[in-house]
Amino acid sequence: MRKRIVIMLSLTLAASIFTGCQSNTQSGAQSNGQSTNQTNSESNSSANNQSKSEGKLVVAARGGSHVAAMEAVKAEFEQAHHAKIEIIGLEAADLKQKISLDAKNKNGAYDLIMADDPWMPEFSEAGIFANLSELGVEADADFEESSLALGKHPYGTGDLYALPFSGNVQLFFYNKQLLDSYSEEVPQSWEEVLEIANKVHAEGGLTGYVIRGQQGNPIVSDFLPIFWAYGGQVFDENWSAQVDSEAGRQALDTYSKLLAVGANYETTDIVSSVSEGRAAMALGWPSWFITGETASAEYAPIPSKATADGQAASTGMIGNWMMGVTANSQNQELAADFLSFITSSETQKKMVEHGGVPTRKSVYLDSELAAKYKHFPVQLEALQNSVARPRTAKWSRVEEALGVELSAAIAGTKSIEAALADANEAINQIMQ
Amino acid sequence: MQSKRRFQWAMLTPVILLLIGLTVFPVVYTISNSFTDYYYLASDGKKFIGLDNYVKVVQDEVFRQAVWNTVKFMLLAVSLETALGLAIAVLIDSLKKGAKFLRVSLLIPSLLPPVTVALIWQMMLSNHNGIINHMLAWFGAGPFNFLMDIHIAFNAILFIDIWQWTPFAFLLLYAGLQAVPRSQYEAAKVDGAGKLRIFTHITLPNIMPTLLLVILLRTIDTFRLFDKVNILTGGGPANSTTTITQYIYRHGVYNLQIGYGAAASIIMVALVLVFSVIYIKRSLGGNEHEMRR
Repeated sequence: MRKRIVIMLSLTLAASIFTGCQSNTQSGAQSNGQSTNQTNSESNSSANNQSKSEGKLVVAARGGSHVAAMEAVKAEFEQAHHAKIEIIGLEAADLKQKISLDAKNKNGAYDLIMADDPWMPEFSEAGIFANLSELGVEADADFEESSLALGKHPYGTGDLYALPFSGNVQLFFYNKQLLDSYSEEVPQSWEEVLEIANKVHAEGGLTGYVIRGQQGNPIVSDFLPIFWAYGGQVFDENWSAQVDSEAGRQALDTYSKLLAVGANYETTDIVSSVSEGRAAMALGWPSWFITGETASAEYAPIPSKATADGQAASTGMIGNWMMGVTANSQNQELAADFLSFITSSETQKKMVEHGGVPTRKSVYLDSELAAKYKHFPVQLEALQNSVARPRTAKWSRVEEALGVELSAAIAGTKSIEAALADANEAINQIMQ
Repeated sequence: MQSKRRFQWAMLTPVILLLIGLTVFPVVYTISNSFTDYYYLASDGKKFIGLDNYVKVVQDEVFRQAVWNTVKFMLLAVSLETALGLAIAVLIDSLKKGAKFLRVSLLIPSLLPPVTVALIWQMMLSNHNGIINHMLAWFGAGPFNFLMDIHIAFNAILFIDIWQWTPFAFLLLYAGLQAVPRSQYEAAKVDGAGKLRIFTHITLPNIMPTLLLVILLRTIDTFRLFDKVNILTGGGPANSTTTITQYIYRHGVYNLQIGYGAAASIIMVALVLVFSVIYIKRSLGGNEHEMRR
């Protein structure tokens, strides 16, 4: 008798395991066969059930100041719409992975997602975003044009899939006291940057220029503005790689020379070394150096020319964080309302105090805010003259391949020529 | 007899189902994906491409570098962690006082999650604000760019891994030492054996199964090295710290090239098996021997 009970119990257990597996199979089959997607699937259903019953929205966001800024202003929307907004802050790579895995689920776990602007072509082509025009979201002219163009697919001309949430753009950061002590003005060309860096290093024994040379996205973001200043382009009009070019060789040569009289640091050390006057110059994103009303270093647009008499090019890399409604959200109308709210001029003005970076011209030109935040004019100018990374769905892989070769060149394991030739070949293979 | 057999199967069924669901299915699914061009976000279905992924993976210079880095890391980390763990275990086993305190305090690093360890060391190794460079400055050395210098980055990660996992080797080997019969030591001493002879002829043979277990577990674990590399160096500089798992992550997870990542994963499994085969053979051999008896 006891044996029979045990058999019945074990069969029940086996059946329940089998049933449990079956309920997750749909999403699991779409995934890479690992448990991550099952977890997503579970969280999806709970998130959706709550969305429907309580008017709840789940926002997948880049962690840090973006989340803090949204948390600070969301209460107004929650009260007006009797809704609950849950904001999940994630590290960039984790965010991209989670958004992608969730995209194949019928009922999405996230109603709104943030996306780094180079991800936009890949996400738009994959149908991750809902068409905002169909949801009644307007692309009003107050958004800075270069930012708004990032949310359209195809780039700049197509339908609107995301709105610019955070208007990051690369700037040139320098220690003014240090430059003053060497009687130097803010450099206008990369030739001048190198001259000043040499002087600071030779005469003061200090770091002339700091590069952000970590393999992958950091070194590519740090190098491209110099490459553009030398007239380089990653691709020609036929999507054939052009990094192995005269512009590429000159830019990488300058980059290596800057490193020779400078240093290769990660973000925290770049900020502290420039702010404290141990290093003279570096490229960076405003959010690193400018917190609230104060900046720990002076800032200027990135030099746009290779030499003093060279031709000027757009060099300020745009790095906006976009926000859109997911195609598999079960609460698209409410999500679209929240998107309009969070990117509105009034809300952006409020978010500035909590670390938000505006994307609307009216916010940058607001006299009260401009008096308080001295970097606004420079940042708006940089945004207006910014340049976007190539709009291809394969950019993540291209960046990876280019980053590996740039890292090899500055580490000295490959010559500049060999590194650029290998980068060109690898990028062309990816683009095939 | 039949009822006994039924009972046995009933008991085994849940485990078999779990094994099929959590191990067999993922392995078969990964193998089948490795022969396709499966890109997770693709709107069209995956196509069978034969061995293309395997050929591309093997031909990729970065993958070959990742394999070399992983094998080098595994050999250095496993041998140093095992040797240090054994030395500490023998030392603490011989202590008459303070053994309990040392035993507990030595284990602290291995209790920390790898991500936490990586973040702590990232702060400590920082050029400007890191305590390590501050301490070195007192002796007139540095500052060193531990994580960005191609000559140091690999060794820095190796050092952190040794710091974290030597206590794990120590713990297992210390437990092994406790099981060595004291009478053997006493007999050897009566016979006039020196310390070295006692160690090589009594201690080592007695703890050999534990020693092999430590080597196997650390071999498998070091092959999976990911968190520290991904957080501290991102595989750089110039791929000098790229590991196989990081390579798989970049292609299969971050870039969502599931088919390509699956092929690299299968190659990694084969490599782990090659390095574990000695232990597995020994285990199976032991069982066969016992069965024959």
